[in-house]
Amino acid sequence: MSWIREGELNLIEKLSANILKAGPMPKHVAFIMDGNRRYARKRQVERQEGHTQGFDKLAETLRWCLNLSIHEVTVYAFSIENFKRSKDEVDGLMELAKQKFIRLLEEQDNLEKHGVCIRVLGDLTLLPLDLQQHIARAVVATRTHNKCFLNVCFAYTSRHEIANAVGEMAWGVEQGLIKSSDVSEALLSRCLYSSNSPNPDLLIRTSGEVRLSDFLLWQTSHSCLVFQSVLWPEYSFWNLCDAILQYQLNHRPLQKARDQHREGQALQQHEADRACLADLLQHHGNGKPLDAQRRREALLNYTASREERVQDFLGALQHKRDSFLTDLTSQAALA
Amino acid sequence: MVHVYEFMWRVLHVLLHIHRTFITLFRIRLRNWNGQLWSRALAALLVPIALSFPKQKKLVPAPGKRVGRRYRWGADGKSLEKLPDHIGLLIAEEEPRYTDIANLVVWCMAVGISYISVYDNHGVFRRNNSRLMEEILKQQQELLGLEGSKQHSVEFLSNGTDKQDHQVLSCQSVVKVLSPDDGKLRIVQAAQELCRAVEQMEKTAKDINVTVLDSLLRESKTTPDPDLVLKFGPVESTLGFLPWHIRLTEFISLPSHVDVSYEDLFSALQHYASCEQRLGK
Repeated sequence: MSWIREGELNLIEKLSANILKAGPMPKHVAFIMDGNRRYARKRQVERQEGHTQGFDKLAETLRWCLNLSIHEVTVYAFSIENFKRSKDEVDGLMELAKQKFIRLLEEQDNLEKHGVCIRVLGDLTLLPLDLQQHIARAVVATRTHNKCFLNVCFAYTSRHEIANAVGEMAWGVEQGLIKSSDVSEALLSRCLYSSNSPNPDLLIRTSGEVRLSDFLLWQTSHSCLVFQSVLWPEYSFWNLCDAILQYQLNHRPLQKARDQHREGQALQQHEADRACLADLLQHHGNGKPLDAQRRREALLNYTASREERVQDFLGALQHKRDSFLTDLTSQAALA
Repeated sequence: MVHVYEFMWRVLHVLLHIHRTFITLFRIRLRNWNGQLWSRALAALLVPIALSFPKQKKLVPAPGKRVGRRYRWGADGKSLEKLPDHIGLLIAEEEPRYTDIANLVVWCMAVGISYISVYDNHGVFRRNNSRLMEEILKQQQELLGLEGSKQHSVEFLSNGTDKQDHQVLSCQSVVKVLSPDDGKLRIVQAAQELCRAVEQMEKTAKDINVTVLDSLLRESKTTPDPDLVLKFGPVESTLGFLPWHIRLTEFISLPSHVDVSYEDLFSALQHYASCEQRLGK
């Protein structure tokens, strides 16, 4: 399969993998695959060759992740900021992406056998139409697979993703599906492009840069961040093991921080529900104060109705997104 | 077979913890050592070993005296190729030491950084805002002296106050204390505000974009996003620090804020000065 290299680990690698797996393992790893151009300069080859080798390294890394039982991987393939690059380079990258997606569609049987689900996160409308159509076909074809997940961030920045999520919630309000008081951290998370994935446990950036460059800023607030100086096309199995080791060393304090945050969130939601209920009773109540029992019941009812509203809204949002992709695929079929 | 792997995993992690403890103890020893020349020579010898594993952008602090370079701090700042406009101090340790944090803030001011944010992920600094402010003013007197304190004035921003858009005087620094509520919660509040505007038909959903959201989340038109975050402590995470604002922020890790020295801060700033941002290009 072109996107996931075939092959198994050698003996020493297998031994190390088994030792690592005795401890807590990340279920979702995100990669910022940085360093392709510096690699090309170092090897004195064309930039485009650097990007091609970068893709091959991705295929190899996905194989290692599967060997390590890491079933979800998110990669930063192309940022909206990257459109600032020279026209030649951008066109080259779009062409590379097109070739890879076409190849992916040719390997549908293999994808089904391995249960690979491909998702593309980003503002697809910024891409050339033919690439949009190939992407849509790949995503729709693998939609129901559920053994492993590859999320490719293409035409993506985290700020756009968050602003888009807020826009979607505003659309929900416009459509009368939700109220502005229903907006919460949990709801925002479920309106992001990455709503079908859990937050990454581990974020790895290669090439020695120590910044996030507008990648998954919301989702990685409690993830383990590992910055490695190796250039992406030179990434090795041992680099990956090193990163996982870092994750294991940070596992307990991060788990604790995450749990604390979740508790805080639940408390905030509870308080918000109470405030909304109080507001409602003030405006629509008959003036008589409720006793504690009635108040508890009213609060439970309010929470249940809010959750129902939110579910309906999320259903409508998913439908909107699915329709966008199926429209693209039918366009492609007609073309 | 599984038990063998589990045993080997435990051995591996015990070794890693011993390695970590050894490095921490070594750093404390080095700091307490007064023989400057000797300790620098030893540090030079052992730095490669200390840095060999794990491979992170961590800095081994050089030993040095805290006071005594007071008059050089401003010059040091000017000598750097670039200085962050806004620095974040992320304390990822359980027991914060107010004096050490105050020292860091005062050194940042003296070196010429205009905006300084202090953050911890439990909201401890926010709750003890006044204590931290007092400590900063006290250390300012101690480290900069009376004259220096007059030259470097500091403005404290508490949550909810709008910073007036007056011109920031030269040598004036703005210190803000942050907590996780300034991160995701603030974004959610901005989202609620926008959705309310849509509910009241003052805006449409299509009006919402990055620029609109950014202007709501910006402290004031003049406050820049953090260019550099210094993270103190062993946990490798942002722990909820201002998710919206850190898209281009450089992260430099330092082992601990306890007994941190000016040299530790300055080597981090030197490191920052050598970072090259391509901004997508």
